[in-house]
Amino acid sequence: MLEPLTLPFFQRALWEILLLAIVSGLLGTWIVLRGLAFFAHAVGTATFPGLVLADGLGFAPFLGALGAALAVAWLVAMLAERRATSADSVTALALAAALAVGIILASDVFAAQASVERLLFGSLLAIGWSDVALAAVVALVALVAALLGGPRWLAAGFDEVGDAARPRRGAGLALVLLTALAAVAALSAVGALLATAIVVVPAATTRLVTNRVASWQIATVLLAAAQGAIGMWVAFQVNVPPGAAIAVLAGAVFLLVAVVRRIAASRSRASMALAALGGVAALAFGGCAGGNGSTARSGQLEVVATTTIAGDLAGEVGGREVAVTTLLRPGSDPHEYEPRAGDVRKLAGADVVVASGLGLDAWVDELIGASGSEARVVRLGDHVPTRLEAAGGRGGEVHHGEGDVDPHWWGDPHNVLAAVGEIERAYAAADPHAAGSVAKNAAAYRRRLRVLDRRIASCIARVPWAQRRIVTDHDAFAYFATRYGIELVGAVIPSTTTRAETSAGDLAELERTIRREKVRAIFPEVGVSPRLAEQLARQTGASTAYTLYSDALGGPGSGADTYIGAQRANAAALVAGMSGGAKRCETGA
Amino acid sequence: MRDGGMSEPHDADASRRPLLVVADSLAATYPGSDAPALASVTFELRGGQRLAVLGPNGGGKSTLLRVLSGQLQPSFGKLELPAGRVALVPQTERSRLDFPVSALDVATLGAVARLPWYRRPSRADRALALDALGRVGLADRAHRTYGDLSGGQRQRVLVARALVQDAPLLLLDEPFSGLDAPSRRRLELLLEELAGAGRGLLLATHDLDQARACELVLCLNRVQLAFGEPERALTPQVVERTYGAWLHGTGDPEEQPASPGRTP
Repeated sequence: MLEPLTLPFFQRALWEILLLAIVSGLLGTWIVLRGLAFFAHAVGTATFPGLVLADGLGFAPFLGALGAALAVAWLVAMLAERRATSADSVTALALAAALAVGIILASDVFAAQASVERLLFGSLLAIGWSDVALAAVVALVALVAALLGGPRWLAAGFDEVGDAARPRRGAGLALVLLTALAAVAALSAVGALLATAIVVVPAATTRLVTNRVASWQIATVLLAAAQGAIGMWVAFQVNVPPGAAIAVLAGAVFLLVAVVRRIAASRSRASMALAALGGVAALAFGGCAGGNGSTARSGQLEVVATTTIAGDLAGEVGGREVAVTTLLRPGSDPHEYEPRAGDVRKLAGADVVVASGLGLDAWVDELIGASGSEARVVRLGDHVPTRLEAAGGRGGEVHHGEGDVDPHWWGDPHNVLAAVGEIERAYAAADPHAAGSVAKNAAAYRRRLRVLDRRIASCIARVPWAQRRIVTDHDAFAYFATRYGIELVGAVIPSTTTRAETSAGDLAELERTIRREKVRAIFPEVGVSPRLAEQLARQTGASTAYTLYSDALGGPGSGADTYIGAQRANAAALVAGMSGGAKRCETGA
Repeated sequence: MRDGGMSEPHDADASRRPLLVVADSLAATYPGSDAPALASVTFELRGGQRLAVLGPNGGGKSTLLRVLSGQLQPSFGKLELPAGRVALVPQTERSRLDFPVSALDVATLGAVARLPWYRRPSRADRALALDALGRVGLADRAHRTYGDLSGGQRQRVLVARALVQDAPLLLLDEPFSGLDAPSRRRLELLLEELAGAGRGLLLATHDLDQARACELVLCLNRVQLAFGEPERALTPQVVERTYGAWLHGTGDPEEQPASPGRTP
């Protein structure tokens, strides 16, 4: 029951959530009282351009987020002061402007990387002591500010006309800026979207049952702390993302309190008992659900892989000697990963971690640090022989990797051969007894990779040179194209950050290129919305009938749930698409 | 002792009392509007005097309060407030009835105005607030939630807040509106007592009887129509001009903005 308390990552998360409870009690109450809840939500989301800027220019994301949040807060305060429009409209306006600036920065100025989006989401399990320190500083600032500003915020909110506390402009601006600070503090813990749930919802709940500022603030601190701790514990037991668990719990408690209060007011004992019963049942249900055990037999190496492809390779090489846990699920986008307590626990107990590398899954480093894991970490991309520049030709648009290297190294099976060797070495070092068996597995898998490589090559060779021109959804197939002699004419979205957008000019240019080069097929990716590709296809007469697997393998039963299966499926799709369906590719086992 | 000192105490003492307001040809215009909401306002107010500002809705009463309380800069004329601090007692409906505050909390807020930004109201300020609530007859309601009090009680809490603010000049915006007869009487007595203690009171009202009870009256309908003691200032012509538009039912909307041409 108390096991999680012994885990360092859990301790840090608990500290963080307790410090945020203080922020919630001291600032969240004023945010609710002064009607700034929507503003608090907006200002957290409006940090996006700051995060992009920090990522692009290489300074601390926290500073970028804080800068953007304070700028938006100041803008809202100034515009609201003029009273030309309501504060709500001004907030919505500033939010839209901030997001628009962020999208332009991410799409056209910098090559935005996946890390930006992860910052927008955040995770309690991946935070370091520096995040906890930041929360402590914000909690302290909130304490001092609430002591000094409280009476003034109360006076100004109580009646704006007769406000006895003029000049009140400074106090009002201070509250708005502090709200921005609170939103930024919660950003690294739970992300922009859930920050409001942590900072504002507890205050809204306790407002229902308290009638004085002091008791309200104390009740809010206690409720937020209790909710945070219980939510973390439940998330740990059920293995769901903790931020979301706390947010759901906060919402449920609010509803419960609101309903009970309503019923208590109507003095219907029977329905009150019913509601209480419902609440208890809900909590019990939440407490009992889930729980997943470790799958490793004794003597097996515990291996954690990041992407589905890394997981497949780790399993093929390890065979019966290893128990592989893959963090990402089939078909999921590496950007949208939010760690669960189970993942961190797995990492903590892992002997070997197999990562894809080259920045594609850089988040795992943070997580390994948080887990205190001492596992050997193999970053496969660091060891492959063929390395390509990222997305060449169109003005330094970097794919979602770190630096200038395209991270989709597995498109070339020769690279996978090298990766297999790395995995083999790591296993042998971690468990010398398993070395012989692992070497056998690796040799067998290498043979299959060579067969695969030959078959794909002969398949592609059936398509005449002139037809080997394709447009893909993203720049994810450069290694494959280089290996087998295919010309990548363009990509529909020149950056994979889902918040980036293609400009009209880029799209028109691509359309001209497709006509000029007589490209027959545009290849959408599995799991990515094909809308833009389809529109482009309609205008140019190209086909979008064939989809490709890029960052993630398919699910079980798709035939593409292994690396070899996915490569085969891609080869078949490419041959069919490039030849207009005239040629087929048989790469069967 | 002066002649007739007992019968006309205010007149007799007037010149000894400190000047609180000196307004000379004041005019005020809201941002974005061409026509002044208020013009040609000239008057003096001393400690111990109650001045009723009489006029129809939209006649400029609230505008005058805003100028006196520093929320709106005069666009013309001269305004002197020799005593410095001014306490505004707004209409009770303008305050947030859903705030988590007791009557005592509200009264204590008056201290915030005179404290520097780094000071919180102290225990002494709270004692002062409790005392002020006692003076407005609400000592027993000090710990009740403000929003749960009656309209008259809330109005008196706001007066108590102004007392805690310790300003020599109180501006009251329609203090009697919405009060029943006993509450009204109670508030009248309180204001009379405050004036007797040397404070200057400026009451915005549209009630003629209320105005007659004050030492001074100022009639306002966009421009100042009269100023002086009620019995001299409130001639039938002045009353007619003050309420002309109102009596004829053209129904000036609410308070301020000027529709040009309405100005007499």
